[in-house]
Amino acid sequence: MDVLGFGIVWVVLSILGEMGVRVIIHNDPMYYTASNIGLMVESAMDFLIVVLVPIFIFVGLTLVWSMIRFTVKRGETPTLPEKFARSNKWFVGSWVIGSIGINLLFFLHPTASATEQFFAMENPQAAANKQAIIVDVTARQWEWIFSYPQYGLTQTLDANGQDQLELPVGRSVKFVLRSYDPYHTYDQYVDVIHSFWVPSWGIKEDVIPGEARSIYITPTKITSFAQNPMSRVQCAEVCGPGHPWMEAPLNVVSSSQFAKWIQYEKKLQSGLG
Amino acid sequence: MAQTTMVPAATRAPKAGKRNVMPPVLRGFLWAAIGFVVVNTFVDIVDPFRGHPFVTGPSATFGWVAAVIGWLLGVGVWESVALPLFGYKDRWHEKSTGWRRYFEYSTDHKVIGLQYLGSAMGGFLIAGAVAMLMRIQLMSDHLTIFHYPSNYLTAVGIHGTIMMFSVANVALLGGFGNYMVPMMIGSRSTAFPKLSGISVWLVPAGILTVLFSPLLGAWTTGWRGYEPLASQDANGILYYYLGVAALTMSTFIVGLNMVTTVMFRRAQGMTWSRLPLFAWGQLTVGLLVLIWIPEIQTTFVLALLEKLVPFNFFAATGSVMSYLELFWLFGHPEVYMIAVPAFALWNEIIPVMSQKSLFARDWAVIGLVFVMMLSGLVWAHHMFTNIRNSELLPFSFFTEMISIPTGFAYMAAIGTMWKGKIRLTTPMLLILMSMFNFLIGGLTGVLLADPMVNLQLHDTFYVVGHFHYTVIGSLVFTGLAGVYYWLPKMSGRLYNEFWGKFLSIVLFLTFNLTFSQFFLLGLHGMNRWVPAYPQYLQPMNFEVSIFAFFLGASFLGHFIHIFWAWAKGAKATENPWNARTPEWFTTSPPPRYNFPVEPEIVSSLYIYGSKQPVSVQFPAEQELAATKDPQDEGGPHE
Repeated sequence: MDVLGFGIVWVVLSILGEMGVRVIIHNDPMYYTASNIGLMVESAMDFLIVVLVPIFIFVGLTLVWSMIRFTVKRGETPTLPEKFARSNKWFVGSWVIGSIGINLLFFLHPTASATEQFFAMENPQAAANKQAIIVDVTARQWEWIFSYPQYGLTQTLDANGQDQLELPVGRSVKFVLRSYDPYHTYDQYVDVIHSFWVPSWGIKEDVIPGEARSIYITPTKITSFAQNPMSRVQCAEVCGPGHPWMEAPLNVVSSSQFAKWIQYEKKLQSGLG
Repeated sequence: MAQTTMVPAATRAPKAGKRNVMPPVLRGFLWAAIGFVVVNTFVDIVDPFRGHPFVTGPSATFGWVAAVIGWLLGVGVWESVALPLFGYKDRWHEKSTGWRRYFEYSTDHKVIGLQYLGSAMGGFLIAGAVAMLMRIQLMSDHLTIFHYPSNYLTAVGIHGTIMMFSVANVALLGGFGNYMVPMMIGSRSTAFPKLSGISVWLVPAGILTVLFSPLLGAWTTGWRGYEPLASQDANGILYYYLGVAALTMSTFIVGLNMVTTVMFRRAQGMTWSRLPLFAWGQLTVGLLVLIWIPEIQTTFVLALLEKLVPFNFFAATGSVMSYLELFWLFGHPEVYMIAVPAFALWNEIIPVMSQKSLFARDWAVIGLVFVMMLSGLVWAHHMFTNIRNSELLPFSFFTEMISIPTGFAYMAAIGTMWKGKIRLTTPMLLILMSMFNFLIGGLTGVLLADPMVNLQLHDTFYVVGHFHYTVIGSLVFTGLAGVYYWLPKMSGRLYNEFWGKFLSIVLFLTFNLTFSQFFLLGLHGMNRWVPAYPQYLQPMNFEVSIFAFFLGASFLGHFIHIFWAWAKGAKATENPWNARTPEWFTTSPPPRYNFPVEPEIVSSLYIYGSKQPVSVQFPAEQELAATKDPQDEGGPHE
């Protein structure tokens, strides 16, 4: 009786929950996603939420159900049965096998599948990556320095002299990440761990002193920091008092716009030079 | 195993003494100050590289060691342990009544347990107050009450360090572990009462060390002491290492004492298959502590020497990643040191309150043991953003699998409640709330265990929300449930059911309203360790802060209610819940040596029903012998 009632309520609530999940997925649970990796992360997250919602409702409902159905009034001494069941092979069996099954499912998909997809995206031999724009990223306390070696640009700035990252949409970018301070190369303590994070791209990678790491990303949306503040490079690992302000605006533009910007930066650099 | 020679110390007439010139705690502070000044000055004199200030890094370190020794001696170790070691007569007289015994060295595991609980509560209030300051700061997107970002980062570090090492590791382990576990296994004392009596005093020493660390300069690393950033920090970071050393040493001794006590001090008939769930929890956590606490202590000694010498183990010229690996190698088992006693306590309280036999007990125990074993295999999921790609999948595999044994705690709890006769008392309500909160903590953790999703969520407020759900959800809610559940045992008094429930509901609502929004903030791009952040995140942060203040107030309300009940609550009967575990088969509060004679366990402790068997018996012969036993001839420590 209770089992049947519980089952019906669970199914009804799960259906309602999944309808809610559709709305969340439609509106992007990550708020704003604008890269190939981000889209993959988003679909992994969507899948996990879809499977987790009925589980959440199941366990949550058992707690509420027990509170409503199985409580006795204060001071009441109920007559207890002679013996209580101390095991139930159907419940225990399905719980143990079910939880193992769900976890194996999660490991195969989305964990292993998305990770393999990520490895494929990061393969330097992939067709898209052979044409990648290279951006050398130097993290120092507290600044992101972007240089475009293919265009001979050593540090790209906006009109106010602030570091700026600008990229064409739909083209693979190879970021080479290093943490060192070009202005204080004599100081062995000045290099700390930073983390290269673009919230709208759905990925971050720690920048470790003494190591050069690379990551390939393809921006998928034309956007700018002014348009959506999630479009920014943000340090995500605590790196000292300047950590909150270790950010740089990211603009993703059309390829013609990008070519104009490169010309502008070249002019700026020679003017400074 | 039986120790029938022990007789309650209360029967001894305490000699009126002119010994105590001043209260032990005050003397502890004085001796600590003397120790610090003397050794600090000595190091200044002999240090060939001393700097200008009177207190340098090395002098503060050695001075601290002397201060802690002075503190421990001052609270009573001098008369009770140190002097007898040299052959002097033990002149320490342990008080068996009165509030003063809680403010000096004691070998009574119940006094020690309350000292641990009190220290944890003190640490919680201090770190909670710091959290309130952080939330005031985060109400606006630029610096307001903190004038320099380092100060904010130091506050974050103090909040995290005190909460983890002196609340999470202390409340259920040192507190209820010391107080309840010996009684739950039918023992009249713990295995190492003297050591335990000393170790509890390391907790206030550690809390104060961390709290006052900014006097030596700000430190910016958070509770993890991340290298190489720590190499830039002022000497304040030294007191982070030292404070944590004191706190972890205390936890280590608790673990040693609990494991030994559970293994060797069980009463007749307390077989492994009858061992109370909470004792199982303490045993598994004790083993985790014995394995992993030495590891982090070694790491922090390396970090301390890195700073003092300096060695450059972990700086850019050394091996940067080594510190991260070493820290998280401990860091994840730490999470289960916090959570496992909570899982155990769920299944301790639920059968009692449901008046129903514990369901699938074996699975509940298997869950605890497997969580303990797997917890050492998952650490690198804290490092998905910096480990090699080839390491992503193995670590995410074990991380996902650890939810299986964790789920067994839920399975046993749900199976027990189903068709039970649940008394929805305050402790039961808090357990249900704890299970709900930890469910959210666990399910949001599934997203973090996926390496690709983790690359987005790592180091954001999503993670902050996740671990506050798991730690507050499991430890704090369950800890409060434990306090309400055992309050009649510890104080002989009952709390007020209306206020208990009302405050718990307020706590539950404010907790969820505060921390559920952390997930949204994180998804929206709010990173961690920031006193200032982009403007678009300000409205939600403002609102979170408001709820956080109410959350803080509801904790205060609980503490006030508990203190009130302790002093003024209605008198409780000896076994108000009709529980079957041995701690309820003695007076409330229990006498010095817990039971008149060692009890005998004669049936399973979790069987309920109209024909439930008797669980605990006192052998009549021994009882008779005990009443005739002459005055205690031995020293006060057994």
